[in-house]
Amino acid sequence: MFVSLADPRAGIALTRETSRESLVILAERTRPISSSQTRLLPVAAPLADLFPDRSLRRGSTIVVTGTGTVGREGTTGGGTVSGEISLALALLAQASQAGSWCAAIGLPDVGAVASHGLGVDLVRFALVPRPGPVWAEAAAAMIDGTDLVVLCPPFPPRPAMARRLIARAKERRAVLIVVPGRAGWPECPDMRLTIDAIHWDGIGSGEGYLRRRRMTVTATGRRSAARPVQQQLWLPSPTGSIEGTASTGGIVDAEIAAAESTATISTAPGRPR
Amino acid sequence: MDRLLVVRCPELLEEDEGGAVLRLFIRVIGAVETYCPWITAVRPGICSLPARGPARYFGGEEALVGLITDVTSGITPVEVGIADGLFASVLAARGGLIAPAGGTREFLAPFPMGVLGNPELAELLERLGIRTLGDFASLPESHVLGRFGADGVVCHMVASGQSGELAEPGELRLSTTGRRVDQLRNGVPAAAGQSGFWGGVSDTDARAARALAAVQHLLGPDSVVAVRLQGGRNPGEQARFVTWNAHETPDTTTVHAPWPGRIPPPAPASIHAVPLPAELIDVAGAPVTVSGRGLLTAIPSRLSVERCPWTTVTAWAGPWPTDERWWSRSHRRSARMQVVTDANAHARLLLAERGRWWVEATYE
Repeated sequence: MFVSLADPRAGIALTRETSRESLVILAERTRPISSSQTRLLPVAAPLADLFPDRSLRRGSTIVVTGTGTVGREGTTGGGTVSGEISLALALLAQASQAGSWCAAIGLPDVGAVASHGLGVDLVRFALVPRPGPVWAEAAAAMIDGTDLVVLCPPFPPRPAMARRLIARAKERRAVLIVVPGRAGWPECPDMRLTIDAIHWDGIGSGEGYLRRRRMTVTATGRRSAARPVQQQLWLPSPTGSIEGTASTGGIVDAEIAAAESTATISTAPGRPR
Repeated sequence: MDRLLVVRCPELLEEDEGGAVLRLFIRVIGAVETYCPWITAVRPGICSLPARGPARYFGGEEALVGLITDVTSGITPVEVGIADGLFASVLAARGGLIAPAGGTREFLAPFPMGVLGNPELAELLERLGIRTLGDFASLPESHVLGRFGADGVVCHMVASGQSGELAEPGELRLSTTGRRVDQLRNGVPAAAGQSGFWGGVSDTDARAARALAAVQHLLGPDSVVAVRLQGGRNPGEQARFVTWNAHETPDTTTVHAPWPGRIPPPAPASIHAVPLPAELIDVAGAPVTVSGRGLLTAIPSRLSVERCPWTTVTAWAGPWPTDERWWSRSHRRSARMQVVTDANAHARLLLAERGRWWVEATYE
């Protein structure tokens, strides 16, 4: 950058050239981190359409529920079975790979291989499997230090407690993902993801094996997310990751279902809304 | 002047090298903050908060002082007091007093000059026969200015109850303590933590480490676990939970090695640490089992997990028998199958062992 005065003519040219270069470098280095970058956390591409910013907004609370989670209590055993945990893990994936820390509280049975397959970086993934009665305190502490927290309350939370956790997430600019399960969540979240129309592919009567699961996720929220958005997903896909189906929105036709049951990759267009 | 409540921890006034004092102080602040917001760390060992609102809410200043003393005295000995302005409040806390509102001058009058923290001024005034703040306050302000300068006037205003504190609130010492306390409590502000400006994400890592340590402090060291992949045939064998901070190197060599008889991907999202008992029956209601040759004895029709009502089996795959460690005492013969119920919505991995069915994992 600094030029000796030995050759003045070359010096001027060189100064101009190098200073322009160094200015470019300097501009790149001192480029402000835009507010949107610090305000948002990335989310996997197939899920992006569900969010008004196409990313997770820091400080927001997301509730993930399956249809009939509450009413299903008597009909099936063995906890939740409707894809809520897979979806919650899928929400973590992109931010986790970008360097964010994630935590899961109250999920004693999380499958490591499935988490890894969905893209969660296990190095920055901490689990508190059995938080017990102080689950809310544990969640609050995790919100203080990690960017994304998946919370499955072991007991029905009191509204004040839920409100305090939501406020904490807002203050610390973390994303709180609640999988209420049977405990429920008494507060209105910023966004609610509801899973519907689950169908497993690739398995028949004694033949094949579980290949992939199709689900419809409906996002409803407040303010800019007030209009419900639907997205059809393969979660998990045959490789264990998350993929969008070609057809999005609307209700799946019988033909599409039939086409999919023959295990071809679905490229059938969705019925226009 | 604001009505301030001051919590003074006499044992935490001096910072130590390891930060133990500051951490204890942060616990005090946390305990107080559960009841009153807007708490300010004035300096190590002393924090203040506006008392008017909380006092009205908790039923008077006496009740508030009692409450704050109760919640903090378990952590460290504390002194709590209320007065107008920070200077008088700290003095009130030292005596455990509540100064009457608007009576700061009268409250301060009996204190010796030394409390102003200006030894030169105190010595000089004492030689002049002025020994208490009350005596000092009764001097005319113009004389104080003429004799002792601007510093003297500041002290005089405090002594006469016209000013709340000796230093401006924005003074460096105060703000550094507050900032350090904030850093220790909250970690680095979230905005600066992500995607390091000059590279590196050490800030986020440090912040997460502190949060995890806090949870371990709350629930015990074994409560926070990390999960590592390892090679294995069953879903349960392919992962290992390790206590956080155990710093063991994961055994990655076998992760990508072939494991014949492995259940094909995708992997189940929930693996039950304790398998759930299940029952599988055919159309006639007779139990379905796996024969010695690894075949189902009948076509499964209905499934019940943990004695819950029966659900209709819509699809299944398997059974895939495994015969592990036939050479040793831990010899295990079992079979696995995938069962889908409720119109292809819910999938589970069942394990048959010694004539019984278990749900080993759920494809959540």
